[in-house]
Amino acid sequence: MSFDKRPDPRVTRRHLLSRSAAGLASAAAYPLFGAHALGAQPFDPNPQGASAFARTQGENGSLFRSSGQPGMPHHKPRAKSLIYLFQNGAPTHVDLFDYKPELAARHGQPVPEEFIAGKRFSTMTGEASGKLLLGPLEPFHQHGESGAWVSELMPHTAKIVDELCFLKGMHTEAINHAPAISFFLSGAEMPGRPTLGAWLAHALGAENPNLPPFVVMTSVSKGTTCGQIFYDFYWESGYLPSRYQGVKLRGGGDPVLYLSNPAGVSRNVRRGVLDDIAALNELTHQRTGDPEVAARTAQYEMAYRMQDSVPELVDLSNEPQHVLDMYGPQVTERGSFAHNCLMARRLIERGTRYVQVMHAGWDQHSSLTTELYTQCKDTDQPSAALILDLKQRGLLDETLVVWGGEFGRTPFLQGDITNRKLWGRDHHPYAFTQWLAGGGVKPGITYGATDELGMNVVQDAVHVHDLQATILHLMGLDHEQLTVKYQGRRFRLTDVSGEVLRAVLA
Amino acid sequence: MGRPGALGPRTWLRRLLPQLLGVCLLSGAVLTAQEETASTPRPVDYVRDIQPILSDNCYACHGPDAQARKAKLRLDTQAAAKLDRGGWAAVIPGDPEESEIILRIFTEDEDDVMPPTKSHLTLSQAQKDLLQRWIAEGAPWAEHWSFVRPQMPSLPEVSDPSWPRNAIDRFVMARLDREGLGPSPTAPSETLLRRLSLDLTGLPPTPAERGEFLDEDSKAWSKSIERLLASPRYGERMAWPWLDAARYADSNGYQGDQDRSMWPWRDWVVNAFNENLPFDQFTVQQLAGDLLENPTQGQRLATGFLRNHMINGEGGRIPEENRVEYIFDQLETVSTTWLGLTMNCCRCHDHKFDPLTNENYFELFAFFNQTEVTGAGGSPHSAPVMAAPDVLQAAEILRLQGALAELELQGGERRQALLEEQAAWELQAMESLQSGQWRVLRPTALEADQEESALLETKRQELQAALSVASTDRSAQQAKCVADAHRAQDVFYGEIADQSASHRTQLEQLENAVPQVMVMEASLDHRKTFLLNRGLYNQPRAEVQAGVPGFLPALTKDSEPDRLDLAKWLVSPENPLTARVVVNRLWAQVFGIGLVKTTDNFGAQGERPSHPELLDWLALEFVNSGWDVKHMLRLMVNSATYRQASTRSEELQARDPQNRLLARGARYRLPSWMIRDAALQVSGLLVDRQGGEGVFPYQPAGVWQEFTFGTRTYVPDEGEGLHRRSLYTFWRRIVAPTTFFDAATRQACSVSELRTNTPLHALATLNDTTYVEAARALAQELLQGAGADENQRIESAFLRILARKPVAAETELLVGSLSRLRDQYARSPGEAQALLDVGAVPRDTTLDAIEHAAWTNLALALLNLDEAITKE
Repeated sequence: MSFDKRPDPRVTRRHLLSRSAAGLASAAAYPLFGAHALGAQPFDPNPQGASAFARTQGENGSLFRSSGQPGMPHHKPRAKSLIYLFQNGAPTHVDLFDYKPELAARHGQPVPEEFIAGKRFSTMTGEASGKLLLGPLEPFHQHGESGAWVSELMPHTAKIVDELCFLKGMHTEAINHAPAISFFLSGAEMPGRPTLGAWLAHALGAENPNLPPFVVMTSVSKGTTCGQIFYDFYWESGYLPSRYQGVKLRGGGDPVLYLSNPAGVSRNVRRGVLDDIAALNELTHQRTGDPEVAARTAQYEMAYRMQDSVPELVDLSNEPQHVLDMYGPQVTERGSFAHNCLMARRLIERGTRYVQVMHAGWDQHSSLTTELYTQCKDTDQPSAALILDLKQRGLLDETLVVWGGEFGRTPFLQGDITNRKLWGRDHHPYAFTQWLAGGGVKPGITYGATDELGMNVVQDAVHVHDLQATILHLMGLDHEQLTVKYQGRRFRLTDVSGEVLRAVLA
Repeated sequence: MGRPGALGPRTWLRRLLPQLLGVCLLSGAVLTAQEETASTPRPVDYVRDIQPILSDNCYACHGPDAQARKAKLRLDTQAAAKLDRGGWAAVIPGDPEESEIILRIFTEDEDDVMPPTKSHLTLSQAQKDLLQRWIAEGAPWAEHWSFVRPQMPSLPEVSDPSWPRNAIDRFVMARLDREGLGPSPTAPSETLLRRLSLDLTGLPPTPAERGEFLDEDSKAWSKSIERLLASPRYGERMAWPWLDAARYADSNGYQGDQDRSMWPWRDWVVNAFNENLPFDQFTVQQLAGDLLENPTQGQRLATGFLRNHMINGEGGRIPEENRVEYIFDQLETVSTTWLGLTMNCCRCHDHKFDPLTNENYFELFAFFNQTEVTGAGGSPHSAPVMAAPDVLQAAEILRLQGALAELELQGGERRQALLEEQAAWELQAMESLQSGQWRVLRPTALEADQEESALLETKRQELQAALSVASTDRSAQQAKCVADAHRAQDVFYGEIADQSASHRTQLEQLENAVPQVMVMEASLDHRKTFLLNRGLYNQPRAEVQAGVPGFLPALTKDSEPDRLDLAKWLVSPENPLTARVVVNRLWAQVFGIGLVKTTDNFGAQGERPSHPELLDWLALEFVNSGWDVKHMLRLMVNSATYRQASTRSEELQARDPQNRLLARGARYRLPSWMIRDAALQVSGLLVDRQGGEGVFPYQPAGVWQEFTFGTRTYVPDEGEGLHRRSLYTFWRRIVAPTTFFDAATRQACSVSELRTNTPLHALATLNDTTYVEAARALAQELLQGAGADENQRIESAFLRILARKPVAAETELLVGSLSRLRDQYARSPGEAQALLDVGAVPRDTTLDAIEHAAWTNLALALLNLDEAITKE
């Protein structure tokens, strides 16, 4: 006990930090945003600043530090950051990107038995036998040099097809939303495993110590009737430390929970209080010899800095009007998909590793002729704008963008063919489309194909674990080596399978 | 039969091997365990040193899973590892040079080397050396430690017999002796009291409790232990980790996430801990209370443990698929909580590391398959369900039922009396009717509309007709008509009838308000259980019978055992796991980390105990004490080990950063729920009412809406719901209370505590209304009560929050802070008022706003000190 020693009560915060732990000094002195975030420097897969920071931090030195593989990818990454435009509810592939003239031709005819034999559908469909085929709602046209077919529902995406790599042979195992989304994001249908973002944060750490490496944003189109909820296990860290879980950037109130000081506490007042805490903690540190105390003080400092960096992040006042216009009229509405797309760009620009933008409302069991149109209107332009915006800033090469839902929708009708107002399609895990762009992916190609009705994959099938393996590969990680031991077993995102899709790598 | 694989380089290897091994042996110092730095080399111990290496690196392909097994070789059993395979064997005791595993791990041939390159697993030099030494020493084998019944160890001799206070300390000191370390001095009294109070009740001591403790004689310590164990707060503290294990929540989870009312079960848990229900009964009642003979309400309620599973109400779900998943969840929860075994992988295949087969999994599944539990989506509950009134409700129901019975009796008596007056009344009635003076003695409505008048007229005519018939000749209908009319005319009878009706309505309303709790109930028909291919509900394979894994003791009842037999088996003295697993969690609760660090895994891949003999001693003591939980905690907190100071030298910190050797007291951040409860207590806001349905403390607006598409809105309570203990906070599964961090998700069983450190935590404890209001309330108490002297107020704040007085440097610093804060707020008095408006608790407006705001910030700083949120 050293209470009788009288340390100087006038000890200043900076003085104190400089002598507590080596890493803390760097935490305090580290620039608010990494240099590369300003776009001034070419992408370095192992930027000295960030990695050096990551390495000097102790286990509890920083929330946003790298770990395990300490900031080091397994191989040279093709993408520095990832944006996943997750379309919850499962977009209808045959109405958007997977053009099937034969489906149009057979509109209203019963689905041929050989296409559905032995398949299990949700209880809403039950027995698929005898269901009527439903042609695509709107005409398709070919676009760009790649000649990709896109529905008139997606006019903006149609303009950027030469940047995209369509995966038309996607298939999955789950048939209900929550398990299927969990399967995409964590590799398992049941909640509890680390999600993609947690893996990336764990393996690659943060480029910017003042912002979380894994950020999530959610939105839903107005008037959507479906009930798919955003469960927090879509961005959980599972059995990785909880500091790797996604930080939710909220659509209203404080962008990060509890970010704002309480009413009546100015930044100055708070600064003084934090200095007091730091000084008193330092006495505790000296008395106990517990390095945790210094780590705690560092986190309080980091919190203070986030109170600066986050408001700067969400402040759109310096975005030029032409950029705002690209994303469409909803861009200034917090909590809209357009706003979240722009925010995703701003985040990766500032060094966030992974942004998970989730938009719900694609579950059109009986609202294809109504809600599908709203859904496309709300998401088409912002998605395309994000690609163009990244490209014009030179960020697309180092940013991987993924667009897609948790499964597809049945080429056959759910509902009454004579009642167009209530047309719908049911869940379809056997074939669907996703697209990739940027970050080391071949642009302007289509990989994989379904049969003439869009029912089953007939060429270059891509399992969810293959997509996950490919994403990790592009981020510089080997999906078989990226493991964490929990309850005695080594777990990985891709469970026990998954092949990198070499054919789509640029 | 030759050896498998390429033979080319082996001759070369064999020649070189002795040299290689020689080098290794010379390298000497070997790390015997991950965090152990043994100063004296000990003989290789299979359980401690070898099995972990084999399990981690070899079992995946050469372990219990028959389907994954390569080269038909398994290394998890002695017989297979040492089997003569026609001139070669994996392990040849005493002969490392001829043992195949040694050849394979030392070879530099990429095709031959084990573990194979593509597994991405590598053995360290130290591990290779250990394997070699082990074989050289004769390759002694042992069963996996936790699958063997603990034997009562003898108490070891120690270097300083005056240090130990009980048996625990003998084991701890013996280990320290071996490591060349000594224990730390006893912590200061006030530190000890705060530590004890937090560990046993989750709340810091009050200044008064501290005062009494310091004034007390030598018995102060044991008196405090008994006081805290007897406090109703004890059960609340013990309940939290149990709720984590039981995945308790107040909503169903998944889409819809409907609210449920399982909280009477939560209250049952709190009471069970407070009453110190022996852990074996605690187990049996929760797993099979419904199967006990004439089960009490409480015993049936206890089975809610198993029914805390999530309920999937998503459209299109197949009920049987749900039902099967609920059972998976039940059996995996039981397996983790009682056995420390991870069963999940056995849904689809044999366990990779432990001798648990796919079949074992479904044999356990069979125990839980014999219930009426349905896979319905739940609205909000799914059957079976029982009504669980709280004490007040139960009393009121009894009262109403009693009153109704009494009224029934009175009604009967009155009916009898009326019967006796019947003849006289009839005469009178006939007269009235004929004279047209029929009057309604008890008008039901002052004004009857035409329809009612018509009805009355019909009735009148009916009555008149009936009365005109002799009483002996009337039809049944006529007799009734007359009797009814007589009673309707009677004031006393009418009052009785009115009261009955109103009581009945009250009773009905009350019964509707009584919470419904999902429980277990045995099914009438035996349901067959099948092994489900890859765990898929619609792919049944061979039929299986209820049973327990063969490597564990057999069930006492071998024909048609049920859940009750399983529960009894879990807590039978023969079971090698349960007592160890549970006592290890109690240890972790008090010392911050288990003797087995992997509290959720006692299998081959779990960590070996840091103090194996101590763990066994504790496990046996637990059983021998009659599974007395309070007794075990008393032992732990009474030990000299527990009472050590948590301060440390740099050397000790470097040597044993996690304190696995227990050379000092534990020091770690409190769980977030305890941080909140402490803040409420020290600010005088804590409402100590126990039990009842979930409450809604502060939460930023909009969080629920954002998660639920606006279908659910969080409405914070007004009044005492804001300040109840965290245990009672309503737990929505899809979006847990935001005020807690590092909390279990309550979606599946969790028995290990998370302890991370992020800026998000700092933001919560600095900015959440809970803490700001607590700081304001504490500041008010200081300004109102602790004298006018600043120093006294600061001292009072320290005593409340840290249970100690400040040192001069601290007081001096805070006096400076106060003057700074006063200046800041004097310049912007509006800010002061804004701060004082945070939170619902009314403020004493006679206090100067600037002074109050300054002190509020000071209190908030103190609540956020590392020491305040840490157990020292």
